[in-house]
Amino acid sequence: VRCQLSPPQRPLQASAALRRVSDEKKKEPLGSSPQQQFDSHPADHQPEQGPQGPRPSYTGQGGQESEDYESEEQLQHRILTAALEFVPEHGWSAEAIAEGAKTLGLSVAAAGMFHSDGSDLILHFVSQCNTKLSELLEQEQKLVQLGEAEKKPTDQFLRDAVEVRLRMLIPYIEKWPQALSILLLPHNIPSSLNLLTSMIDDIWHYAGDQSTDFNWYTRRAVLTGIYNTTELVMMQDSSPDFEETWRFLENRVADAMNMGNTANQVQSTGEAVVQGLMGAAVTVSN
Amino acid sequence: AAGLCPCRVLFACRGGALRALCGSVRGLAAAPEMHFGFQTVTEAERREKIYKVFESVAKKYDVMNDSMTLGIHRVWKDILVHKMNPSPGTLLLDVAGGTGDIAFRFINYVRSVRERQLQRKLKHHQNLSWQEISESYQEDKSKSLGDSQVVVCDINKEMLKVGKQKAEYLGYSEGLSWVLGNAEELPFDDDKFDVYTIAFGIRNVTRIDLALQEAYRVLKPGGRFLCLEFSHVSNPLLSRLYDLYSFQVIPVLGEVIAGDWKSYQYLVESIRRFPPQEEFKAMIEDAGFFKVDYQNLNSGIVAIHSGFKL
Repeated sequence: VRCQLSPPQRPLQASAALRRVSDEKKKEPLGSSPQQQFDSHPADHQPEQGPQGPRPSYTGQGGQESEDYESEEQLQHRILTAALEFVPEHGWSAEAIAEGAKTLGLSVAAAGMFHSDGSDLILHFVSQCNTKLSELLEQEQKLVQLGEAEKKPTDQFLRDAVEVRLRMLIPYIEKWPQALSILLLPHNIPSSLNLLTSMIDDIWHYAGDQSTDFNWYTRRAVLTGIYNTTELVMMQDSSPDFEETWRFLENRVADAMNMGNTANQVQSTGEAVVQGLMGAAVTVSN
Repeated sequence: AAGLCPCRVLFACRGGALRALCGSVRGLAAAPEMHFGFQTVTEAERREKIYKVFESVAKKYDVMNDSMTLGIHRVWKDILVHKMNPSPGTLLLDVAGGTGDIAFRFINYVRSVRERQLQRKLKHHQNLSWQEISESYQEDKSKSLGDSQVVVCDINKEMLKVGKQKAEYLGYSEGLSWVLGNAEELPFDDDKFDVYTIAFGIRNVTRIDLALQEAYRVLKPGGRFLCLEFSHVSNPLLSRLYDLYSFQVIPVLGEVIAGDWKSYQYLVESIRRFPPQEEFKAMIEDAGFFKVDYQNLNSGIVAIHSGFKL
């Protein structure tokens, strides 16, 4: 039973770490935010910086948060982003998250907000990369529409998109096998699969795929296969600038393109064979 | 007990309204009725009675814990420290930590994490000279806890005495300090600790809201509040068995092992009087904590509440 007298208490209690949206642009130290609360300064309506588009608004606790404080999710995103720079040293783990929290001026105990296996950090990174990829593809599309760039053939487009996406892994490549293994843990599979499929879908969308038949599935399945295998090849590639990986990618994409033709050829050959047999049967019966 | 519940809620509300004036009012708050187990007493009486309870059980506290819970309390405390997952360099405040169970587990955990870290570091340094290797061993020995520290705070001198004796006996000396203090008015500065734990202590606190506020005050931004406490069992069958065990077996054990029926009667009654999980979660949120959550252990016999100062 929540007491009716409690609601006013929340906004009055200065939040120790959640900042006002306006603070983000000024990058003031956390210590000064409690004083901001008593300003008669009107709430800033600047859009929030960072990968999340929507403005911070009511959150949790029965909507008692004031509108211009960032939500817990945004703080979590900030911690995870800060934690990424510690990944090469500590791996994808709660330690990296703890170090990230420290740089934001928070206690190392803040890492307790996340799963102890580091999966939150990995999923955050993957989702960040996917967002970056979508933005790049969108920009490219705009250029093509404006006529400033030529439309690439499908295989070239797919190759470039996958290469760009995989290059984002390069700073973390040493610890990436650890990340992959964590993503394959049963309780992480739904979220990681979700991110993977939406990324593949994005790539095909910008490649101009408008199929409404079974092709939709085959195309995505094929590209998923290409992406995953190339990623694995990249893990153990030691050539300069991962040349071997890009060559592997080129070959796989070419295979995929040929597969369509091969399928048709197989079908027509099959039909021809069947016709031949029927003819022979008719001849023999006569 | 149902009839007394509105009384308790009302008091909690009153507590909320008075919070701004609590500094001056607290001294005068001897009059309000409070519960001591199933009895109704004044606030001052309650504090005194609880102090006496723990003074008398202090020496047999650990033995009684083991016999009442059949040793399962050790597992609960282990789960609490695992949930905390402290990294080396963490500063822990264990309130009502009396005989030091949580503190010792914390030290063990941090030591093993630190050892793993050092092993990993050594693996990377494959080509060191013997001089460098010996230097690194010396340095690591002096930092076996990696700057982690735990402060055990308890209101009861006897419990602290037992705790210190245990620490000496088990060989814990580094990174451990014992402080006499009241959870409602902690003798520490603001923003000091990374983690605040209170295991099986908060139901003995007379003004829980004040204790939660103090917890909020002494934690650093980003710090974590963890509370391990007996809670509400929702499963009706289990609840009946649990009641039977609590009221028939535990006071008898108390009399046989510790020679103190009344203290253990109080213990069992105080468990019944403590707010259930959701209500306690709301109280923690009222103190200003975010991301408040609870985990039931043994289907509600015990619950771990966690909140962050964000």
